[in-house]
Amino acid sequence: MTSLAEIVNLKKNFVTRVVGDELIIVPLTGNVAQMNALFTLNETGKFIWENIHDAQTFDNLLNSLVSEFDIDSESAQRDLNAFLDKLGSTLKK
Amino acid sequence: MALKNIFLNIAGYSIELIPQTLPIEIETGYKYFVTGKINKPDITIQCFEGIPEGLFTDSKAVFEAENDDQKFYSIYENKDSLGFVIYNQQNKTEIQQVAFLSADFKHWKIYSAATPQGRLVPLSFPMGPIVMQYLTIKNDAVMIHASCVYDGEKGRVFTGFSGNGKSTMSQIWASDGDLIINDDRLIIKKEGNDFFVHNTPMYYPDIPKKAPLSSIYLISHAPENRIAKITGAVAVSRVLAFCIQNNFNEYIINNNLEFISGVCAKTPVSDLGFVPDRSVIDFVLNYEDK
Repeated sequence: MTSLAEIVNLKKNFVTRVVGDELIIVPLTGNVAQMNALFTLNETGKFIWENIHDAQTFDNLLNSLVSEFDIDSESAQRDLNAFLDKLGSTLKK
Repeated sequence: MALKNIFLNIAGYSIELIPQTLPIEIETGYKYFVTGKINKPDITIQCFEGIPEGLFTDSKAVFEAENDDQKFYSIYENKDSLGFVIYNQQNKTEIQQVAFLSADFKHWKIYSAATPQGRLVPLSFPMGPIVMQYLTIKNDAVMIHASCVYDGEKGRVFTGFSGNGKSTMSQIWASDGDLIINDDRLIIKKEGNDFFVHNTPMYYPDIPKKAPLSSIYLISHAPENRIAKITGAVAVSRVLAFCIQNNFNEYIINNNLEFISGVCAKTPVSDLGFVPDRSVIDFVLNYEDK
């Protein structure tokens, strides 16, 4: 799994913009090939993205997610793990 | 031979080409965009003879525009300017031009080799489109790979990957009487509170054209006509993907994101799978009437 520290580091290579409840993520890139590699996150993904920072821990992020979206901890943990995995692999492309 | 400045008006932006040592000429497509003298042009282009060597030693390479077949240009950055190395499109190991753009994106210096007739052609492809692209960045506009047709009331933009039917679509609407603004490269520009679509000089002759932006369709070929509206971040990201952009710095990306967000907030964006015949016109008109 991609660690939060890795994602914090990878985030520096992207520019974001909020549109409504969603987030657009555009890579800073030095070549044409990656220019179309932009993607969007829904409200939940946006919340997670915005709450990944240097001082963040997985448990704190999980608790914030459970509290913000009123979901059970077990489902949230499973979904957060899956999301971070996918986010990490997308950001590394 | 007397050195004469050339003034261009492209998408309502004024450009002054200023020869330094040799006369300059412009390719056929630009001739229809020539205008009279302008006292305060939006951008100036000083045109120098020869390709200087040993450049960019104090600069950082920030962008390469190349694909498997061709190398178009490289961009270098330092605190005062951007530097561009433009490669010959027939021989990518040969440098066609070198150019510098000031930090405020308003003043170019373009160095080109002289033609056998002793002239400079500063806006040779791809230098011309690069100048236009950077002109849009600080001027409430964006360049996009798209076609646009105008029926006298509405300007419809069709964008998509190469081979998805941009030219085919514009020909279908033209056969029904619409005016093709262009079928490959457009400038979308904010004028007052509204957005307009302009053509830009191509390699072939065409007059300047303009249409109000009424709708954007992301097109692809399909076994039957189908359409779905797209909104929010997805619409912005999908349209942005077809804009002509060099995303090596945060300012440029933020500028494009803000502009396209404004466009999509005001303009309907739809996914359109189409059959390449006249049926798509009735299909789209019917959809717009709903």
